[in-house]
Amino acid sequence: MSAIITLSLLGILILYLGLYKAKNALLPVSILGLVAALGLEIYAWNQTAEPLYKGMVLFDHFALSFSIVCISLTILILFLSKEYFKAISDNIAEYYTLILFSLTGALMVCSYHNFAMLFIGLEIMSVALYILVGIRRKDKASNEASLKYFLMGAFSTGFLLFGIALLYGSTGSFDLAAIKQYILDNPTSVSPMFYAGILLLLVGLCFKVGVAPFHFWTPDVYDGAPILITSFMSTVVKIASFAGFLRLFSTVLVPLNEFWTPVLMTVVIITLFVGNISALMQTSFKRMMAYSSISQAGYMLFAILSIGPNSASGILTYSMAYGLASVIAFGALILVKRHVGSDQFESFNGLGKTNPGLAFAVTVGMLSLAGIPLTAGFIGKFMMFSNVMNDYHTVLLVLAAINAAIGVYYYLRVVVHMYFMKPSEEPVVSLPINFKVVFIVAVILTIILGVYPNAVIALI
Amino acid sequence: MTIFYFVAFLSIFFALMTIFTKNPVHSVLYLVITFFTFTVHYILLNAQFLAVVNFIVYMGAIMVLFLFVLMLLNLNKDTEPMKSNLVKFMGAIAGMCLLATFLGAFKVIETDNGMVQAHENIGLVKNLGKVLFSDFLLPFEISSILLLTAMVGAVLLAKKEPRVKHG
Repeated sequence: MSAIITLSLLGILILYLGLYKAKNALLPVSILGLVAALGLEIYAWNQTAEPLYKGMVLFDHFALSFSIVCISLTILILFLSKEYFKAISDNIAEYYTLILFSLTGALMVCSYHNFAMLFIGLEIMSVALYILVGIRRKDKASNEASLKYFLMGAFSTGFLLFGIALLYGSTGSFDLAAIKQYILDNPTSVSPMFYAGILLLLVGLCFKVGVAPFHFWTPDVYDGAPILITSFMSTVVKIASFAGFLRLFSTVLVPLNEFWTPVLMTVVIITLFVGNISALMQTSFKRMMAYSSISQAGYMLFAILSIGPNSASGILTYSMAYGLASVIAFGALILVKRHVGSDQFESFNGLGKTNPGLAFAVTVGMLSLAGIPLTAGFIGKFMMFSNVMNDYHTVLLVLAAINAAIGVYYYLRVVVHMYFMKPSEEPVVSLPINFKVVFIVAVILTIILGVYPNAVIALI
Repeated sequence: MTIFYFVAFLSIFFALMTIFTKNPVHSVLYLVITFFTFTVHYILLNAQFLAVVNFIVYMGAIMVLFLFVLMLLNLNKDTEPMKSNLVKFMGAIAGMCLLATFLGAFKVIETDNGMVQAHENIGLVKNLGKVLFSDFLLPFEISSILLLTAMVGAVLLAKKEPRVKHG
């Protein structure tokens, strides 16, 4: 809880700093505040976890570890923002504030124990993003993305709220523990409204994490948004939504899994194929990453599909791998786009010769996303696949393996462009110090996770 | 019970008028009356808070917003585009399917809900306030961040950007 309070106050402090024109203090103060919040989360690790504030929030190891991942990724992304926001407009303080508020919402989604908190957390997270997506006001694509995201987000919130209302109508409570008790008390006579509520909640959450068939907003929004915001959206927000998703299903809805497993299974299969095959067709790196985020979400759903004791650590590992790799990919895209001016695959041509360091980082990121051994992505995929294997979903496993192979093709396309294509005549891509630090940290973490995954798996 | 049937008739009648009238401004005004009949329903159900909120937010704020948009877009003529017959046909089928689903659902769900009958004063403002400031204090306080976010965003998106030339 203290981290959430710290971040809220930090956002307001940043607004004041912007008011008093302390432009240079914005980034350091934000990072310091985030580090403080991170410290508070780690400090809370050893305290006994019980629902606080009349059962509103619960900071167990699950919530804390996902919060820590979200905060750390935000720190990495903010490091990349040093020169980025200045190029857009002068209202930098507001941008930082909105990112911090969005992160606050994400922490609430990670740690909710009552639907009221889930709803408010999701709303804070999304409302800040609707605005951040549209901060390039002169850019048509950014405006379109913002409007689309807003409309789709509002719809999905409607579904979610309707689902929550139906669950309340049948159980009489918003509290996760009370709803769980309701299912345990009436295992055979669960109200039909409850089932309808589960379906609507599922639809709402699937919208938020962007899996097919509710993915139509994802490519356009990820493509139209400023790259830095895209990287925030596709990492922190997605991970937090997954944490919320998993918490709901693993604490409350497990006894009814015969009902929702077929639905979720269909969603997963559609997602894998739609995400991977569309990603295969793309010529723009940014759009490819958007579709790849859809297919990665499909893999993450594996853990919810076959919920067990390993689900939480599986999603945690997977989301760390995915988050780090995405930060690398989008960070590289910012640099490349700044110098070449386009986000097509061709702009990466010859990067292996002109800037070997950057090319190496991107290669590690891509290998991790594709799930090649010795990277974090492999461990993530391995845990997801073994989860599903334990439940004997063999068909799903075969389909997922086919999709993983498709994924390798399009992720390695970037690597081919970097190492085997002739560099263009453009000036050499330089590597600012803040990008260098972020890339080094992300690459090292990716490899450490890939070699010694127990450090994370043992956490939850 | 007779009041209920009368008000229910009025809400269905005005809802239909909202759809069938050609003039968009009239349509919005009929929608206002429809929302007003909903308010009456809420009062009949002893849900004071919902009634007040529905009255202020929906009938007041949102409907005025609708009218403003209509005014700004200058849609106050009979400018409704004619839909093709195919679209109308599809719309009718989809609507009927929805209706059939709802009827089936209502038949399955038992209509008397013990929860509501046990707390028949659940919708009063006093009870809501008590819950809001005791059990739901944290979400209530935290929604301030939501409002602040929306406020910052609105200012950010609406503010005029001076084109500053650097160097």
